[in-house]
Amino acid sequence: MNRTRWIFVGIVVIALVIVGITLTTRGLRPDTGGSTPVTGGGEAITVDRPDTVTVRVLTALPVEAWVRNAAASYNATAPTIDGVPITVEIIAMDGLTALGRWDRNTFGALEGDVSPEEVDQATLATLEEFPTAWIPESRYLVELANASYKERLGRDVFLTDGEYRARPIATSLLTWGLYQSRADVLIEKFGEISWNTIYDAAIAKGGWPELGGEPGWGYFKLVVPNPNKNIAGLHAMIAAAGEYYERPDVTVADVTDPQFQAWLGELMGAVTDFSSASAYTAEDFALFGYSVGDGGQLLEADLLLNMEGILTRWEDPINLYYPRYVTWFDFPFSVWVGPETSALQKNAALEFQRYLLSDEQQQAGLAYGLRPANPRVPMDAVPDSLFVTWKNRGVESVIPRSDAMRNPNRDVLLALLRWFDLNVAE
Amino acid sequence: MANRTNIPLDLPPDPQKTRRQVRLAWGLVVIGVACALLGGAIYGGSLILSWMDSRMTTDTPESAGVVDTGELVIAVSPAMKPTFDRLVETFNAGATEPNLPVLTVELTPEKMVAQSVEPAPGFQALAPDSSLWLHQLEQQWAAQVSDESESSVIPLTQRRTNTPVRYAVSPVVIVAWESVARELSWPYETVGWQHVLRKATEDPGFKWNHPSTNNASGLLATLAEFYAGAGLTRGLTEEAATDPVTLEYVRAVESTVRFYGEGEAVILERLKAEGRDFLDAFVAQEQTVIAWNQGQPAERLVAIYPAEGTLWADHPLALLELDTLSEAQRQTYQAFAAFLTGDEAQRTLLSVGYRPADLALSLDGPGSPFKENDAVDWRQPQTTLQMPSPRVVAVVQNVWWYTKRPTNVFLVVDTSGSMEDGDKMETTQQALLAFLDNIRGDRDQVGLIEFATEIKRLEPLQPLTDEGRNHLEGIIRRLEPQGNTAMLDAVWEAHQQIVQGGDREAINAIIVMSDGLENASAHTNHELRTLFEDDEAQRIVVFTIAFGADADVKLLREVAQIGGGQFRHADETDIEELYRTISTYF
Repeated sequence: MNRTRWIFVGIVVIALVIVGITLTTRGLRPDTGGSTPVTGGGEAITVDRPDTVTVRVLTALPVEAWVRNAAASYNATAPTIDGVPITVEIIAMDGLTALGRWDRNTFGALEGDVSPEEVDQATLATLEEFPTAWIPESRYLVELANASYKERLGRDVFLTDGEYRARPIATSLLTWGLYQSRADVLIEKFGEISWNTIYDAAIAKGGWPELGGEPGWGYFKLVVPNPNKNIAGLHAMIAAAGEYYERPDVTVADVTDPQFQAWLGELMGAVTDFSSASAYTAEDFALFGYSVGDGGQLLEADLLLNMEGILTRWEDPINLYYPRYVTWFDFPFSVWVGPETSALQKNAALEFQRYLLSDEQQQAGLAYGLRPANPRVPMDAVPDSLFVTWKNRGVESVIPRSDAMRNPNRDVLLALLRWFDLNVAE
Repeated sequence: MANRTNIPLDLPPDPQKTRRQVRLAWGLVVIGVACALLGGAIYGGSLILSWMDSRMTTDTPESAGVVDTGELVIAVSPAMKPTFDRLVETFNAGATEPNLPVLTVELTPEKMVAQSVEPAPGFQALAPDSSLWLHQLEQQWAAQVSDESESSVIPLTQRRTNTPVRYAVSPVVIVAWESVARELSWPYETVGWQHVLRKATEDPGFKWNHPSTNNASGLLATLAEFYAGAGLTRGLTEEAATDPVTLEYVRAVESTVRFYGEGEAVILERLKAEGRDFLDAFVAQEQTVIAWNQGQPAERLVAIYPAEGTLWADHPLALLELDTLSEAQRQTYQAFAAFLTGDEAQRTLLSVGYRPADLALSLDGPGSPFKENDAVDWRQPQTTLQMPSPRVVAVVQNVWWYTKRPTNVFLVVDTSGSMEDGDKMETTQQALLAFLDNIRGDRDQVGLIEFATEIKRLEPLQPLTDEGRNHLEGIIRRLEPQGNTAMLDAVWEAHQQIVQGGDREAINAIIVMSDGLENASAHTNHELRTLFEDDEAQRIVVFTIAFGADADVKLLREVAQIGGGQFRHADETDIEELYRTISTYF
């Protein structure tokens, strides 16, 4: 063998040694998930083509039934993305609860400088359950969650513009719902249904007899969902503040004003029970009837959906009255843009979002009392639209002249929650 | 050298040089192969290590304590337990994988709360009679694991339970025999707590009962008394609840309560056993009225919806967010919750008198027990009492101990030789200590009689001050088994002791526990009966416990019947719980 061959053999040997050492070093590195390429668990996120793409959507309770049915219809169409089958899963969760979980990072988002390829199998398994998208009640919840992550990770996780931006899929608003017998008495005495009327009813020491109602009705009972469990409860207090100050924008100074707090305290004193473990929705309104609540500000969609049940159980129907200062919920479909979900999942989520915004699904939403986000779909597009069914109970397709309450900032929310915890819940 | 230089390249090489080169070449090849094998071995090793690593990582959840126990255990409140078990049976019969079997365990709501905040409760889900218990649970949990931090966007604390599912509701009402209700002007006039409480204080023959505050019915009745005492229907504060005038009123009303106890299920059993004379009225869920009347009794019960307002038993089902919860348990919970709110279960709940959560089911529709039934009214209640804040509720629960009817109770304990078997003596001692622990009224008195061949020790009734409590606890710890069984003599002596005390305002009771056959008493059961009949005005109630398989069940039953009380069976596993349960009657 001549020198050239020796050199050749030597090079081969050295190459083999280098390969061996390199692979060994990679395999033994403790925190980089060296097994990932072998098992393929992590590759599903970035490299491998998976067998199926699962889109997990955290969904606010008022739209859950509609979105869940839409997901079932969507899944039945055998949708695909880049040839990969899509499955949509719905996880029901109140927006405030979800915000708390985002804030505590219960879902397990990765730290800012860590990528899915670098994590161990247990973390990867957790990421398999990571929500692909979130539909809270209102856009500002998305902004608060994003702010929390931005502070922690230094990057956005929900976007306000671009392809993956949060898009409303339906709307609804807080409206007055009162048992007709009770509403008639209040209108007779005060002329309208408003927070000021409710306040006057709430502080009537003689209860309903003093207001002109039946002695058996007891005192006036206001329905406000527990703000710690239902975002609508928090918004009801903000709407009350709006009417108190006669403007749609309330500040921390407004909600911490002692006079306002005394007024709000007297209002909340008319709530029968905050101890209920439930979030208190219109379903409770129907289940317990006027015995627990004569009326209150609840979500229009929720009220419409339970109107039939209220009539079945309590004979006395509920009437709807629109407030001067309106709180809108826009149910934004928000795609998580962090590395915890794959590009395929993100794009599949967008596909489902488009499906929800289709004429067919927007029309289906009418049967759940939801106002379409798609402007092509009129409120009476289908016969089973609850806006048609309950027209005689006061539901309006076009909201009467009103001012939209502006979304509260974090400090206003915190101030109100603190006040509630210290003065009402405790 | 020149020749060598001119040798054409294709000529055979120098044999000596060639052999050396070949050896060298082979050596290099061997080294190369060895290196390759080494490299391969190292890589192979790394793969094995990696595989082992992945296995270990995959196993992490299990090692972290996520254990599939193979079942989902739900704690259920006593009143709902029979119906719940029926539904569980149907669910289990139709359940398929991955759903696990559902088991139930009966617990008072108060105990559910206490156990739920422990690290490893004996159940994964709970079904108390009211959401107010879940609220108390969350309050206690929040205090235990407060995770508020300045960096939180919204400082919401973690919850111990997930979003509960409500599967049935029933208002808490005053239940009365129809004839009693008519005396109270039912159904022509609205009747309230005030009417019943006035009747109870003015008519010494009026017998009524409400359960202790460890379930929704008892808590509501107590709250109603505090509201009435404070002259309010809402806005009960700590100050109003502890005002001397309020407390005096509540004390006067409570003095008319015949006894406290476990709630609806047991009261119905007693009504069946003792009939019309047992009670005139009691506080219970509306469903109790329907359940009783479905048995076509001689006299109906009717539901009085208090004019001042009432409270709802809203029967939530909630999953505990335990670290040890397995995915199969979570799935089973979801499946069971769906079953419970599904059509079949909802119709079952309606058929036994609950108002189902499914609003599509009409209460006055065909087949509904509410239809054409004037003993209940599905349009009621018109109003509810305001549920005070948890702090005020806690004050009411605590203050109640100082207003409730006082108790004089004798613990009559068998320490005959047979109590030496197994753990009988130790478990009895634990049970007696647990009983003492649950007697918290400042006017309550407890005495103890230890018997075997004869009365071995008699500790007269004494208030449970720190000193009295320590004294009795010391005696209980020193109990020793020896001798025969003279149970009747011991009961006789307890009766004499209470009669001598002459306290007719208190609940007077004797709790007798025995594990063997009566064989040493001077008195007979007939004499005992005569003794109780002669002193009927004293109203001494006797609870008897047959401990173990060899107890004189027949005699113990008879003694309970003589004393107008209850007979219960127990063994080493449940004697402590039984003593705790009996303590709720006082």
